Amino acid sequence: MKKNDKIPEGNPFKVPDNYFEEVNRKIISSTVEKEVRFKKYGLYLKLRPLIAAAASVALLLILSYAGIKLFSPGNKTLSLSSIPIEEYTEAILNEIDVLTLEENALLLEVSWEEPQTEKEDIIDYLLIENIDINEIQDQL
Amino acid sequence: MGNLKSDSDILALLETDINKGFRVVVERYSTRLYWHIRRLVILHEDADDALQNTFVNAWRNISNFRSESSIYTWLYAIATNEALSLISKRTRNSAVSLDDLGSWFANSMEGSTWFDGDQAQLKLQNAILKLPEKQRIVFNMKYFENMTYEDMSIVLNTSVGALKASYHHAVKKIENLLTGI
Repeated sequence: MKKNDKIPEGNPFKVPDNYFEEVNRKIISSTVEKEVRFKKYGLYLKLRPLIAAAASVALLLILSYAGIKLFSPGNKTLSLSSIPIEEYTEAILNEIDVLTLEENALLLEVSWEEPQTEKEDIIDYLLIENIDINEIQDQL
Repeated sequence: MGNLKSDSDILALLETDINKGFRVVVERYSTRLYWHIRRLVILHEDADDALQNTFVNAWRNISNFRSESSIYTWLYAIATNEALSLISKRTRNSAVSLDDLGSWFANSMEGSTWFDGDQAQLKLQNAILKLPEKQRIVFNMKYFENMTYEDMSIVLNTSVGALKASYHHAVKKIENLLTGI
């Protein structure tokens, strides 16, 4: 509806082909669909700690059950108090390789000799550490 | 969704299913809003940006939308503000005065101006660009979009009387510019 003869009609502005379908799709993607994606991710984030806790408990139970099954011979339940102390000690000693222990001890090469220190070294040390010699004498 | 006729139908849908309701809003109003923005900002790339920003803004605030105004006037108000922001940005960043189509097109990064008008259309658009900003908006909304003064009053927060006077002056100025007076 145009009311003025002096003002031309028509729309000189153009748009690319399929522009309105494209822009509607972009708008929906950045509004409605973004919120739906965000809500799903948000739910995952909320449940993640619970899932992690449940997985840890399940793993613990499995390991405990496996441990009990492995260390109990047949149907007997094993406990340390049921083993005689002599047998227990012998079992531990059998596991220790005494020869290896001796070799390792030699490798350490612990020296018990006192180090040879010159008097000048001692004085230098005292000066660097700002220690008063008279204080030491009083203590001695 | 195709059977929804009125704003009240859309409002009802927004209440029950906001996602579906908003899709209807986009489908119904995007084209009209685009042309409203485009006539103000001239460049297609700017109109594209402003249109998308309009709907993102609307989506963010859809839960706060109250039925005091219609969705139509509410969206037009957002779109007008987005267009004015872009115009402000262009004029701030432009080395030359943007008072004709040529200088606007020179500011475009796109290969095409997306303008296909004859000399008469070019002259008209240049004349409209010479109007003060608010008067341009009033002229476009009344002349090209046939909006009622009552709806314009809500969109622009201006009295009906002031809008009528503004439109009357705008038409006179454009006629004088087109006839070379």
